[in-house]
Amino acid sequence: MVQKDGNPSVLSNSTLPYRDIKPTGAAGFYLGINATFRFIHDTYGAEALRQYWRDLGSRYFAPVSKIWSEGGLAGVGRYWRDFFGAEPGAEVAVTSEFDRVIVQVARCPAIQHLKNSQREIMPDFCEHCYWVSRAIGQASGISLVVRGGNGTCRQEFFHSCAGEVQKLEDIARCS
Amino acid sequence: MIGSYDFCGHYEFTFAWLDELGGIEAVREYWKRAISVDAQRHVRELILGEGIAGMNKYWDHTLEEEAADHSFTADQDRFRIDMHACPSKGFLLRNDLEQYPDYCDHCIGWIGPLMQDAGFTVDHEHDHCGKCWWEFRKANDPTPPSQSGEFSAEKDVRLSGEWNSTKLDIFRRAKDDRTKG
Repeated sequence: MVQKDGNPSVLSNSTLPYRDIKPTGAAGFYLGINATFRFIHDTYGAEALRQYWRDLGSRYFAPVSKIWSEGGLAGVGRYWRDFFGAEPGAEVAVTSEFDRVIVQVARCPAIQHLKNSQREIMPDFCEHCYWVSRAIGQASGISLVVRGGNGTCRQEFFHSCAGEVQKLEDIARCS
Repeated sequence: MIGSYDFCGHYEFTFAWLDELGGIEAVREYWKRAISVDAQRHVRELILGEGIAGMNKYWDHTLEEEAADHSFTADQDRFRIDMHACPSKGFLLRNDLEQYPDYCDHCIGWIGPLMQDAGFTVDHEHDHCGKCWWEFRKANDPTPPSQSGEFSAEKDVRLSGEWNSTKLDIFRRAKDDRTKG
């Protein structure tokens, strides 16, 4: 799947729990996300930032946990297709293998926009993908590993019983 | 990943999360440092550099991008926004999200410090339902805000039938959310 612009007809059947009337988000909001991470990190420390990401996953994204619980890995795949379909400038392939869903990010819309805007990217920016999704998955028996980052990465989602564990050093720091 | 599509939802969650951690001062500091100074750096450069012309450039672009129902009115001394349907608050209302007591305060929270640095004062009212108005004029200009319909004519949000049907938050010569009337 390569989707550069959202399509309202796709969104009408979307799994996204929170819906807008426009098909894609505004890229300028990535500046706010990056600044939010930096503020929490610089004010309260690295562990507070990880806690913020975990709380986002378990609280704000609780409806996504429900989608993953009810839909299993197929629900995970559908969610990420819908998610990246609504992000401006994303180039992402979501595929399924026998025991996992693979999200191959060829162009991360957030990193791309931050680089285009010549912004200093929070070095730990890409870790949020792991901590938020891990918290979403904990309520639905789904785990993930992330490899790469800083614009391109590979995220694999599987049932937690598979036992694979994330190595944080596999997530690239941003620059 | 957290995205731009539902940004207003997790942005509002962030206010509530910071409020739990450090109270209103933490939220206020976030609006000022993270949003006004960091994220909106480009807006700061525009308005500090170009004044009212910079305001027009910024809001014309960003409110179009966010699909807002709004209008601008400007002369050489003041810039006015009439917001008839705020896309940001609208997103929260449509999705039944209310994690923080007054989401609308975030705007004065980041715009107020920016305007203060740029030498402008802010008059503003919001109705918590997606309608609001703003007037920016030079800080040394003692003129009060315009009366309904006086400056923006029929585009004035105060002339809409729904205005005044809910509690209004009123800011006069404001620098941040502390000056709420």
